[in-house]
Amino acid sequence: MASSTKDKPVPQITDQTRPFWTAGKQGKLMLQKCGKCGTFNFFPKPWCVECGSRDLAWTEARPFGTVYTFTISRNVSMNYPGWEGDLPVLMCLIDLDDGARTYGQVTDCRPEDMKIGMRVRAYFEDISDEASIPRFRPVQVAGQT
Amino acid sequence: MSAEVAIVGYGRTPYSRNKPGERSYTVDEYLAWAAELALNSARMSKNDFDGQGLGVAHAEVAHTVNWSAAVAEVLGISPQVLLRADQGGASAGSLLIRASAMIRAGIVDRVLVLGADTPLSMPSVAPGLPLSPERTRGVFWDFQGPFGVMGAGAQFALIQQRYMHEHPVTIEHLGKVAVTARYHASLNPAAIYRKPFTIDEYVNSRMLSDPIRLLDCVPIVNGGLAYIVTSAETARKITDRPVYLLGAGEANNYYRGSRSLPDVTYTGFADSAPRALKTAGVEPKQLDFLQPYDDYPFIVSMTIEDFGFCKKGQGGKFMEEHDLRFNGDFPLLTDGGQLSGGQPGGAIGGFAPLIEAVTQLRGEAGVRQVKDARLGAACGFGGIPYGRPGRTCIAMIFGNEA
Repeated sequence: MASSTKDKPVPQITDQTRPFWTAGKQGKLMLQKCGKCGTFNFFPKPWCVECGSRDLAWTEARPFGTVYTFTISRNVSMNYPGWEGDLPVLMCLIDLDDGARTYGQVTDCRPEDMKIGMRVRAYFEDISDEASIPRFRPVQVAGQT
Repeated sequence: MSAEVAIVGYGRTPYSRNKPGERSYTVDEYLAWAAELALNSARMSKNDFDGQGLGVAHAEVAHTVNWSAAVAEVLGISPQVLLRADQGGASAGSLLIRASAMIRAGIVDRVLVLGADTPLSMPSVAPGLPLSPERTRGVFWDFQGPFGVMGAGAQFALIQQRYMHEHPVTIEHLGKVAVTARYHASLNPAAIYRKPFTIDEYVNSRMLSDPIRLLDCVPIVNGGLAYIVTSAETARKITDRPVYLLGAGEANNYYRGSRSLPDVTYTGFADSAPRALKTAGVEPKQLDFLQPYDDYPFIVSMTIEDFGFCKKGQGGKFMEEHDLRFNGDFPLLTDGGQLSGGQPGGAIGGFAPLIEAVTQLRGEAGVRQVKDARLGAACGFGGIPYGRPGRTCIAMIFGNEA
């Protein structure tokens, strides 16, 4: 389910955030892990929001998570018109297995099947020459169709 | 803090939906208009603020450096203290807290506090996306916009969905907030939408971002509001109806639980409201009304819980069991709130609950007057952090007796 990237916002990549965007190009979910307390920080922070250490290292995180909450966006608001073609957008807050929470669009799922607690897996979609972004699909659970 | 400062005047301009053919006012014009109304209400002149204090809330449309000094220049006021708040819907309250500290410290005796914005006149590159740098560039936007986050409606829908998942709060409970606000708006000529609607009409209003419906949303307007705060001593010389600030609490960047995986069903009011009440020496049940920040109705329910009117998760039931009308046993949003009154930009909406609290405590609310109102609370709620409700939560307790 590829979506159009035309007329959608692209990030202004900085030296701080480049590792996240370019890792996505390799299909990897990279987050900043604190070398002092082990916390995964997301979105990118200038120091660890738990302990204040600047020792943050880009670390590959497991691409799995659980839907903490979701909404079904039925119109484009405070974003770019390119999203019109994706409506309704299934937007979630996803608790990654490594302990960070991220906004994430779930695709390949009917709106009526969205549930809090649903297991999801990240995949990556190119949105510019330099950046790729994680989206999520439901994980097929044995015994369910 | 008990009764050391008081509000002695306030003003709220007519709001505009900026329809074609209407006279369009600039932010500066709204600031002067709101200031004029406040000065008239306090029987003061702008010259009373030379050498005193001027506070301005950050206006998104006029985003600029030296904003507070630029406002002093266009109004021709020469204050010795300038305050600027950039805390969104909590700005009115944060300016009151800072102005009060300046007054209690003896640095100034009075402060004119202004807020205005014209979000409907703002140029935009995308539907509803103002040109504020924070919303269009920087790491905060880059990790939301490209991910498909649709702004306030989606951000708050996510919080509401989790809140309703964890707690027995129903759509009908939240509808009662919107219906009550509209009923009060029908009694307030200054409100922007005044035709009453029913719970069914609320439930059946267009779904924008599940579970947020059209009638959960505040209508954006252009407009301005202002208030004047002075030492209690000066207040008693100026007016026979001072409204004292008895207590205030401010919480910024509040977390419940870990910073990585917080519990989003609590707001910063869980921290700031008990402190405000304690300073004022007041129990929640003593309050004659509550003017919460009603963008969105579920925030009102969380606020009621976090103030301590009931336990966490019981906000819906609490509202079901109480009459929320001005003449009921738990008056709420007595001016129509922002839901039906209008929100003059995200940064200025917080003036409205504060000014309605003052209006009620001065006995100037006309047909929607809460009988014998002596004590009331007002809220400021500002900014949308990443995946949580409000960045700043300010609770204020007002009374008309020192």
